[in-house]
Amino acid sequence: MTDLPLIPVRMLNEHVYCPRLAYLMWVQGEFQHNEFTVDGAIKHRRVDRPGGKLPEQPSQAADDETRIHARSVTLSSDELGLIAKMDLVEGEGAVVAPVDYKRGKRPHKAASGVYEPEQIQVCAQGLLLEEHGYSCPEGVVYFVASRERVRVPLDEELRTRTRNAMTELRRNAASGCIPAPLEDSPKCPRCSLAGICLPDEVRFLSRTPVQPRPIFAARDAAKPLYVQTQRAYVRKDGEVLVVEQEKEQVAKARLAEVSQVALFGSAALTTPALHECLRREIPVTWLSYGGWFIGHTVTVGRRNVETRTHQYRASFDDGRCLDLARRLVAGKIVNSRTLLRRNWRGTDDDASAPRELLTALREDMRHAGRAPSLAVLLGVEGAAANRYFQNFQNMLREASDDLGFDFSTRNRRPPKDPVNALLSFAYAMLTREWTMALSSVGLDPYRGFYHQPRFGRPALALDMMEPFRPLVADSVVLTVINNGEIRPEDFISAAGGCNLKDAGRKKFIQAFERRLQQEITHPIFKYRINYRQLFEVQSRLLVRWLGDEIPTYPVFMTR
Amino acid sequence: MERLYIVCYDVRDQRRWRKLYKAMHGYGEWLQLSVFQCRLDAVRKLRLEDAVSRIVKQDEDHVLIMDLGPAESVQVKVKSIGGSFEPVRNDAVVV
Repeated sequence: MTDLPLIPVRMLNEHVYCPRLAYLMWVQGEFQHNEFTVDGAIKHRRVDRPGGKLPEQPSQAADDETRIHARSVTLSSDELGLIAKMDLVEGEGAVVAPVDYKRGKRPHKAASGVYEPEQIQVCAQGLLLEEHGYSCPEGVVYFVASRERVRVPLDEELRTRTRNAMTELRRNAASGCIPAPLEDSPKCPRCSLAGICLPDEVRFLSRTPVQPRPIFAARDAAKPLYVQTQRAYVRKDGEVLVVEQEKEQVAKARLAEVSQVALFGSAALTTPALHECLRREIPVTWLSYGGWFIGHTVTVGRRNVETRTHQYRASFDDGRCLDLARRLVAGKIVNSRTLLRRNWRGTDDDASAPRELLTALREDMRHAGRAPSLAVLLGVEGAAANRYFQNFQNMLREASDDLGFDFSTRNRRPPKDPVNALLSFAYAMLTREWTMALSSVGLDPYRGFYHQPRFGRPALALDMMEPFRPLVADSVVLTVINNGEIRPEDFISAAGGCNLKDAGRKKFIQAFERRLQQEITHPIFKYRINYRQLFEVQSRLLVRWLGDEIPTYPVFMTR
Repeated sequence: MERLYIVCYDVRDQRRWRKLYKAMHGYGEWLQLSVFQCRLDAVRKLRLEDAVSRIVKQDEDHVLIMDLGPAESVQVKVKSIGGSFEPVRNDAVVV
């Protein structure tokens, strides 16, 4: 208990607002901005400028009336176990009041004019000032938007509540167990950590039969920058990333609107540009010409150690590995089956997929769900994949057509024909996307549950993308072929392998990006969300499953 | 939700004008002398307002931020003579 670090008074505020929020922020080190926190940070910057001084020792003379007006005062106390940076301390002589600035208006709903978290926060600041010898009969909350000062008397009752909150927060932190989310609370949609916490989703999957609110879908929309043109050069110009080729500007992207940078082949990025990406937490991925993932540059990494601890612990548990692997493989088979069913291009008198095939795949799905070991599961997956790829040609435009392609079997390393080249490239793109999604939520993409770790293979990304191979990768391949977006002349064959040319690769990336932006209705939660956001939700749900907050990981399956 | 904005400014001092012109490129497309077109969500709008108010002198300069409406659905009625006008988009950049 005594080993715990000092509680930042701000965390005490968060704890009273929502114990889970304080745990996420303080213990797990998670944070995410939204419009309210950004507004708060901007309004606070002025206050945070240090000014005036708080005397080391309060004046002893009873008639001392020296005015005190000190901004941005940091005080701590081992006795109380608290630390605080106070916006303003004002008073006369030995009697002072902490003043806390809040961005909003004075809440008219709260009887005392101040909500409880703020009351507790100024009270804790008052306790700290008293610990340092001052006398603190009241605190003040200043509401920036309505320019109102509200006095908070620090009476015995409030002091007791404050001490209780401190004890509770310490107990939560020491327990190593994240508190449950609030229930259907109006606080959640405004909370900037809602996308990490997933309050409604976790409640829904554990017990409460209330449909989750679409909190996640309202997130901002920064977009990726892909650079695959050869000899491209990316540099920073003020607030913009400029892409040049042969000293000629070919594209630009505003840094504030970039979510990730993907560099193919010889594309270069200057050090100032890389620094800026790191500063803004924009991940940069490095890929071979063929889209194979070579590396990933991010800042020092997610601070949430608990997430990784849970992941490693579960990865050594054969039962949990098998449970997750079965669900993922079954999900992949279901989704492949759905893709075949929806995209079958039969003859006029028989336009739908053969019933025997669909039945066989359904059987495969059942077997996958009951597989007694990972080895058996691998066999079932292989059989289903065979069945699926044997029939893949039936989803493609006729090869006799000028724009059609032939496909007989799946082959790779290197892919020997255009369809296989597209599939390989699409899987590489999907692996990259999943590796980023997983590492951005604090998981280790290299430690998997189904795919065993092998050198340099992002096993967890490969696990998690299984259900999405048909839905995202294969479906984009079908689209670009069947719509004639990619044509036979977009490929080059050399040394027994087949590859996309630059222009074809660009078109394919655009089609892939369109697919990721496409909105779908989540089959369990019922809200609309696009595929890229879905990858994040699924990653965060995996975090919740690994931490034992939900009983099963819900695999995404379309109808 | 992103919205479209027109930002135009009168800045009396050449140095501040350059500074603002450069900063504005981080938020939108340059349209004309001292006029930018921006597509912003709530967070980027706050950051823009903050950046602008830190650059300009409020008793000498004047900046207008005009809200045209939701970026996805608004039909901007613009008569463009001697040049072209395209509402700014927010797509993935692929080069």
